[in-house]
Amino acid sequence: MSLGAGTEATMVADADERAPGPAPREGKSPTQIALERLRKDKVAIACLFVIGFFVLVAILAPVLVSIAGVDDQLHLDQVNPLTGLASFQSNADHPFGVKARTGEDLFYQWAYGARPSLVVGIAASALTMVVGVTMGLLAGFLGGVVDTVVSWIVDFLLSLPFLLMAIGIVPIALQRFGNPDSSGFIEEGRESTIRFIVLICVLVLFTWPTVARLIRGEVLSLREREFVQAARSLGMPTKRVVMRELLPNLTGPMIVNLTILIPAFIATEAGLSFLGVGLKDPTYSWGQTISQGVTFFDSYPIWMWIPTISVSLLVLALSLFGDAVSDAFNPQTRR
Amino acid sequence: MSTASTETSETVVHPRRDNTREPLLEVTDLVKHYPVKEYTGLFPTTNQVRAVDGVSFDVAPGETLGLVGESGCGKTTTGRLVTRLIDPTSGSIKFDGKEIGQAKERQLRSMRRDMQLIFQDPYQSLNPRQTVNTIIGTPLEVHNLVPKNKRKDRVQELLELVGLNPEHVNRYPNEFSGGQRQRIGIARALAVEPRLIVADEPVSALDVSIQAQVMNLLEKLRKELNLAFVFVAHDLGVVRHFCDRVAVMYLGKIVEIGDRSDIYEAPQHPYTQALLSAAPDLNVVRGAERKERIRLEGDVPSPINPPSGCRFRTRCWKAQDVCAQEEPLLEIKSGARQGHQIACHFPEIKDDLATSLENTSA
Repeated sequence: MSLGAGTEATMVADADERAPGPAPREGKSPTQIALERLRKDKVAIACLFVIGFFVLVAILAPVLVSIAGVDDQLHLDQVNPLTGLASFQSNADHPFGVKARTGEDLFYQWAYGARPSLVVGIAASALTMVVGVTMGLLAGFLGGVVDTVVSWIVDFLLSLPFLLMAIGIVPIALQRFGNPDSSGFIEEGRESTIRFIVLICVLVLFTWPTVARLIRGEVLSLREREFVQAARSLGMPTKRVVMRELLPNLTGPMIVNLTILIPAFIATEAGLSFLGVGLKDPTYSWGQTISQGVTFFDSYPIWMWIPTISVSLLVLALSLFGDAVSDAFNPQTRR
Repeated sequence: MSTASTETSETVVHPRRDNTREPLLEVTDLVKHYPVKEYTGLFPTTNQVRAVDGVSFDVAPGETLGLVGESGCGKTTTGRLVTRLIDPTSGSIKFDGKEIGQAKERQLRSMRRDMQLIFQDPYQSLNPRQTVNTIIGTPLEVHNLVPKNKRKDRVQELLELVGLNPEHVNRYPNEFSGGQRQRIGIARALAVEPRLIVADEPVSALDVSIQAQVMNLLEKLRKELNLAFVFVAHDLGVVRHFCDRVAVMYLGKIVEIGDRSDIYEAPQHPYTQALLSAAPDLNVVRGAERKERIRLEGDVPSPINPPSGCRFRTRCWKAQDVCAQEEPLLEIKSGARQGHQIACHFPEIKDDLATSLENTSA
């Protein structure tokens, strides 16, 4: 458009638009605009680096432990037989120290412990989103009986005490699926797999209602918008209206929710492992290391503090990043 | 409105005057009641909001019917019912001879091509996550009108038709102004080559200079493509400029329907007269004497519990006992021309209410 100066320009802008102008450019979608705003957010970028660091630790755990030259064997020679503690906090062989009594290396457990945190966080929140968004879409768009039933399930699940249920479900699941022998012993690898799966299931089960409720509300307002009416008046099949018209407009709340859920789940995983209902050896996790190290917080602080700081830093970075994402997707905030 | 009354369209269709009229859309006794629960007393009682309560009209091919009335009188609901976006409680809608009033969505699909909507709010009616190409291309795709490789050309053609730059196909709605967005909405409606367009206050969300542009565009398209319109509006000037026939609605019912000249030059229903006298007159600015203004007292009564008999009686200065007892029928009264129907017990022609067009153009 070649606009002259003055008010006349705006008066004739419409006619001018047909005049040959510069080469046509691609438009910017709301998502692209949000990502552009995110790129300018310094806090978000810093958080991305922190998150990236932990992701790399998790992915490269085997490489890292071989560089550090540590393994998962017992090192009874490293601990004082009287006190059970190592005589050092950190040295070249064991940068994060060793466990009391057994002398297992803590760097090894820290590097591998990053994996369940991230896997649980990402897998559980992805599953939560899938279930929550599907149910929310169904309830919001179909309405009627479906809406009533879904809302009832949502209210029911939200009324259950999460911690109590989580603590209760793990032993039940172990009994049910663990094939314990007569003395109640369950094979170690099997137990840790069951615990892993149950942990994810518990997290998903008690969180999807929140997501479903949010998406339902969003869909209720979207489906009355005129562009959905326009799609219907074109004779568009319902499935297509949902997939093409509604779903793309939910990306904002979905991404924001995802970035909030991941840190919440990581923290919850650490908390549950600390309480003894989360993960267990041979799956290492930070929560479990914290719960073991907390007894020695005074005499051997490095044991507890390294995983504590790691988990706090990761959760903080993810949460701040989530804030930045939700700001970027919200057209009302201009910073 | 200055933009509207400056000129009047040349090709006024007066199908009523000859007998060969074959309606494209025929609506008979259309009713839409919304149930509402009220929680007073011990048990909730279900009441009915009578949004549209027995509306009948027809539209011939190429004809334009204006639906006017104040807010909440059921204009928009009628428009949505006609396009079957909402299901009517009862009544018949015939499109092209086929009954669609109670048809299922699947049966409606082929009809959807012939009937399109233009919406009031251009900021709501376009999906913010789709490019113009997708928005206008979707109807082509859904109805399989244009082969895939020619779709973009057709979209650009449509953009040109509504006066937008065809190079803007890859832009998103947030990059356009309100008027431009409304043009995109019009292009989308035109993509399926409809025969009838229900325009739901298409210009009331736009500012006045843009209103004129969009109205002129609709006028041009209507002539070029021989479109029939159901034009929902509350701006009497715009309706006078655009419509062949005008139906005045009050509280879910049509109180007066007739050709444009009947309604504007010889209105008989007191409500029509009140509406016309409330429209601002530019000639007053130029020094003409201010016309008598009819002021209506009070609010529109609740559509949950409308007044007995004539619904307008609570605000009418002519109301007598018969108005509360007997509901006036919509029929041709003495002094009215053919096709001019009034629902009133005491109709009376008042011919000095609307701005005379000669004065305006002078």
